[in-house]
Amino acid sequence: MIRLTEVDLPQAYRYMGMHTEPDERMQQLAVICEKRLLSLVSPRYIHLVCPIRQTEGGVLCEGTTLLLTGQDIAAHLEGCDRAVILCATLSAGAEAAIRQAGASDVLAGMMTDAMASALTEQLCDAAEQEILAGLPETHPTWRFSPGYGDLPLTVQGDLLRTVNAEKRLGVTLSESGMLIPSKTVTAVIGLSSQPVQKGKRGCAVCNMNKSCPYRAKGVHCA
Amino acid sequence: MTELLKNHPFLFLDGGMGTMLQAEGLLLGGVPELWNLERPETITAVHRAYAEAGSHVVYANTFGCNRLKMARTGHTVGELIPAAIRNARASGAEYVALDIGPIGQMLEPTGILKFEEAYDIYREEIEAGKDADLIVFETMSDLLEVRAGVLAAKEHGNGKPIFVTMSFEENGRTFTGCSVAAMGLTLEGLGVDAIGVNCSLGPEELVPIVEELCKWTTLPVIVKPNAGLPDPVTNTYNFTPERFGECMKRFVEMGAVIFGGCCGTTPAHIRAMTETVSAMQPVERHPEIPSAVCTANKVVPITEPRIIGERINPTGKKRFKQALIEHDIDYILGQAIQQIDAGADILDVNVGLPEIDETEMMILAVKAIQGITDTPLQLDTTDPQALEAGLRIYNGKPIVNSVNGEEESLNTVLPLVKKYGAAVVGLTLDKNGIPKTEEGRFAIAERILDRALALGIRREDVFIDCLTLTASAEQEGVMQTLHALHRVRYELGLHTVLGVSNISFGLPNRELVNRNFLTMALYAGLSLPIINPNIDSMTAAVRTYKLLANIDRNAVDFIAHYGAETAPAPKAAQGSSMTLEAAISAGLKSEAGSLTKEMLGTSDAMTIVNDQLIPALDKAGAQFEQGKIFLPQLISAASAAQSAFEVIKEHLSATSSESVDRGTIVLATVKGDIHDIGKNIVKILLENYGYRVIDLGKDVPYEDVADATEKYHAPLVGLSALMTTTLPSMEGTIKLLRERCPWCQTVVGGAVLTPDYAEHIGADFYAKDAKETVDIAKQVFGN
Repeated sequence: MIRLTEVDLPQAYRYMGMHTEPDERMQQLAVICEKRLLSLVSPRYIHLVCPIRQTEGGVLCEGTTLLLTGQDIAAHLEGCDRAVILCATLSAGAEAAIRQAGASDVLAGMMTDAMASALTEQLCDAAEQEILAGLPETHPTWRFSPGYGDLPLTVQGDLLRTVNAEKRLGVTLSESGMLIPSKTVTAVIGLSSQPVQKGKRGCAVCNMNKSCPYRAKGVHCA
Repeated sequence: MTELLKNHPFLFLDGGMGTMLQAEGLLLGGVPELWNLERPETITAVHRAYAEAGSHVVYANTFGCNRLKMARTGHTVGELIPAAIRNARASGAEYVALDIGPIGQMLEPTGILKFEEAYDIYREEIEAGKDADLIVFETMSDLLEVRAGVLAAKEHGNGKPIFVTMSFEENGRTFTGCSVAAMGLTLEGLGVDAIGVNCSLGPEELVPIVEELCKWTTLPVIVKPNAGLPDPVTNTYNFTPERFGECMKRFVEMGAVIFGGCCGTTPAHIRAMTETVSAMQPVERHPEIPSAVCTANKVVPITEPRIIGERINPTGKKRFKQALIEHDIDYILGQAIQQIDAGADILDVNVGLPEIDETEMMILAVKAIQGITDTPLQLDTTDPQALEAGLRIYNGKPIVNSVNGEEESLNTVLPLVKKYGAAVVGLTLDKNGIPKTEEGRFAIAERILDRALALGIRREDVFIDCLTLTASAEQEGVMQTLHALHRVRYELGLHTVLGVSNISFGLPNRELVNRNFLTMALYAGLSLPIINPNIDSMTAAVRTYKLLANIDRNAVDFIAHYGAETAPAPKAAQGSSMTLEAAISAGLKSEAGSLTKEMLGTSDAMTIVNDQLIPALDKAGAQFEQGKIFLPQLISAASAAQSAFEVIKEHLSATSSESVDRGTIVLATVKGDIHDIGKNIVKILLENYGYRVIDLGKDVPYEDVADATEKYHAPLVGLSALMTTTLPSMEGTIKLLRERCPWCQTVVGGAVLTPDYAEHIGADFYAKDAKETVDIAKQVFGN
């Protein structure tokens, strides 16, 4: 399983809205928050590799109930014959760390939350690397998640059931469509035997691109 | 021992259901429970195959059959569960179990499902499954959810046997962090019939987990592993039936007596298992389980003196009383964290006050404290209703404080202790008061113990308090207390509790008296001192005792705490030239607090607020707007201002009825949303400006926002939402506020919100950050 031994601090500071070097006190707080977070999370992921087929209604993951709808995912998976369905989570321990930190110090709570977000990205990167290492001679697309472009968030339920995320990972979906534990990511990676044209990643397919505070400042969130 | 085991020295359960149905064409992600209606013959055939392979018990196909998961199928629990049990019965298996899995929604505080709702969901399943022979909960991860289910099964299951298996990872914990020991202590306390493990791992990985469980329970142990680990490409499991059966030998040797298989296992695996196990003899276990209390994530064995922190108690504390009346849970949480940091192993929780509803406050306090810490609690109340409410929702095994030798107390408190599997403090007093002599108190201790044992409460779960009398008033009584304590500890063999600080009441240098009495009591056999751990010398006395008594081997703990100490830490900023404004700008919390304390000697509280605190915050706010500082620094300044404010509140509640109040604002993260960090930042800033914030928390129903706005007649309500999927909740809340509280204005914020959208949903204001919310508040309140 994945071991994460440190948080990508520059990324965490950026999530916090810090655009300068943190001062000494902030760095001291970061040491405490990072230690607590790493001691409480259990980063894990599960995945399923399944054949896919483009249909009129969307991209169908064969042998499952999962149908990925919308034009953006169809374009993303163009030329792919299989896909990795990924679910990765830091576990409920991340929430516990955020609550514990925030109970006595709002700043520590916010910092721990930002660190957990950064750590979730690190987990996904490591998971993707590990998965693809087991699939030689395939060409992957980048990770595409529900909520990107016109792939609706409502697909989460079927996606989680397909990989049995509740039983195997402890990940659930609230009635309002939130993944719980909240530091959880689901994604689809297309696989092709031929090199794939990697679509544009980032702002272009992001729903926030009109109102994004990072773009307003001329920077990126990730 | 359960009836089922009387008939079978080894009881065999079935194997995987999902695996078998997938082989019959069920898609991944499909709903197996629907096949109870659509393909009953297929379901019965699977059960029959297991019965023929040697399973005494088959689990009906009801794992996910709860009202939330079945909502999208168009079928009800009342249709599906009876059908599933009929299908199982038709297989001819000896016993049919109602199989219950996790609800699929996480409980508070990680998720939004309430304990009471979880209980009701399980109650519905259990009532629909009345024709089953036993009730099993499996693949459980959250101990609190298990407690909800087991209570529902006890209260609505007509006395059916209850089995519980939880799923652990290699680190010996479930997904939610529950430890094996906590599971054993809590579920044996609740009176289930057998416990064990299922799913998540293969048999080999489960060896250390089952070993640990066998140390922590006297109940029959269940082992129901997966057929190894799954392959993500082929979606199959890697253990052959033979290898699976062979692996079970280890568990028989450890003393497990109930066996089955989980994901990936087939009738062939079960047959191999029953053949291997049947050829062996059951191994008797006699675990010696120590006295211990726990939360789901932390077990505190009472194998050495443990500190119970006494500060969550309003007696004699004006500021604490004020916090209770105002439902200021953050204040109580602050008290909890401070004591844990100082060295408390267990926290006493007393939230009784004539002016408030103690039951409601007990629930609120226990939930909130358990949300931020895994330190076990001691529920301290004289109100049986508040006690039961606390016991019901407590996640783990708590201590009840207290029962005494009076009939009424024994008859009311001990049954609750038994039902909820708690430990209990027995006070050595009765209707005649506190006996003067050690003999009198020892006799009451014996009586309490006898009554507890008669109800089936374990001896290890009875702790006795021989009661500290005040040395200034009853000097001759001090040694009587210690003699009684010694006899209880060594003649009855029970652990002892003592509230220490009462000893010095009315004397000078109380700390000196308390510390020495504490050391004497520890030597006499005190197991659980109830003290103020924030007083260094008291905590140090316990640590020193553990060192000298050879409990803290090689002085590891003592050196960890005192090894680096060179000189007393300098008192922050005393007499320094730093101003309060500078301390706030720099985010120096303790300096801001101590400077405020100093200034209160010469200045009026409101003058400090208006001339120092608020200008300092204004300055930080302006710098933030100009991009000279960023949100973390603004929060840092606000936190420093908050500690200054806390000093002022303490001062005001002790000296006058005056309070800082620029107006009341209701804050909430809307229904369905659990992201509350932004809201908390807004809250701290508003409070620093002297506004009274009624914080309703996260996932707040529309009605609760309107109720609070009505109750406090709040002119301003702040709502936050982080998800696009929860924005409709924001709109719904505003709509209800318009109807019920037409006087109030609303300000909204959150990552996905825009000014346009805010206007669209009828909000009066959009705030892009916490600073802007303060500006809006100033505008609304005209101050």
